[in-house]
Amino acid sequence: MHPQLELLLEIQDLQAQRRALAQDPLAEMEEEVFELSPAQALRVLDEKIEELADRLDGSISARWREVSSSLGRAVAPVLNGVCYGCFVAVPTAWSSESDRNERIHVCDQCGRFLYYLD
Amino acid sequence: MQLRDFFSLDAIKLDLAAETKDEALKELVGLLGLDDKSQGILFKMLKRRENLGSTGIGRRIAIPHCRSLVVNRLRVAFGRKPGGIDFDAIDRKSVQHIFLIVAPPLEVSNQYLPVLGRIAQFGKEPDVPERLSEIESPEQFLALLEEKGV
Repeated sequence: MHPQLELLLEIQDLQAQRRALAQDPLAEMEEEVFELSPAQALRVLDEKIEELADRLDGSISARWREVSSSLGRAVAPVLNGVCYGCFVAVPTAWSSESDRNERIHVCDQCGRFLYYLD
Repeated sequence: MQLRDFFSLDAIKLDLAAETKDEALKELVGLLGLDDKSQGILFKMLKRRENLGSTGIGRRIAIPHCRSLVVNRLRVAFGRKPGGIDFDAIDRKSVQHIFLIVAPPLEVSNQYLPVLGRIAQFGKEPDVPERLSEIESPEQFLALLEEKGV
């Protein structure tokens, strides 16, 4: 896997954790069952996300910030040849590459970074 | 929704080889049948969640959980370590029973929270830790879930 794609995945996973933790049902459960302080956890996650985002290369960082701010999620999984960000088919040539996650692919339609799941 | 419907027999291991928390997380992630790179990413995310606070809820039970893009549907696994593992649990006791829950960031059916809640509820039943210690096969584990109606 391309190291920058791995970084993008990690950032997006942390953002997913952050979003979930900022919502009542999970925050309440984390507090009651796991004795976690959601407010403190959110601060830690924010710091980590920023720290990882600083490690993105220039052009990737610029796209990540642009797509994140306009669409929310900057990385979309690809399943059965379809971008699960905008549900438009990606070029079939990419899907047949054996090292498709070794390169940085961007969806022509929505501009999200693509991560091949299947 | 029944918890047993989410567990496959090959994602239930009653004799974990792990001796440490990290090894246990890796071993459980290994039960999900992902490629090596995805396993590495998932382990890292679980570690990040553990760094926020242990998922060892006490009574010898831990429920490590996270959301990650490397899975395309909700996945669960169960591992048992009879001798116990130091998991930094809330009650400071070692952990013997570990339930792993992983879900994609976006789920159409939104099962992550209910499954997490049901496993937490299951773990709080007074006789569950002892019953989990007594089971001898993955099938008995599924039968226990069914018996408890979770």
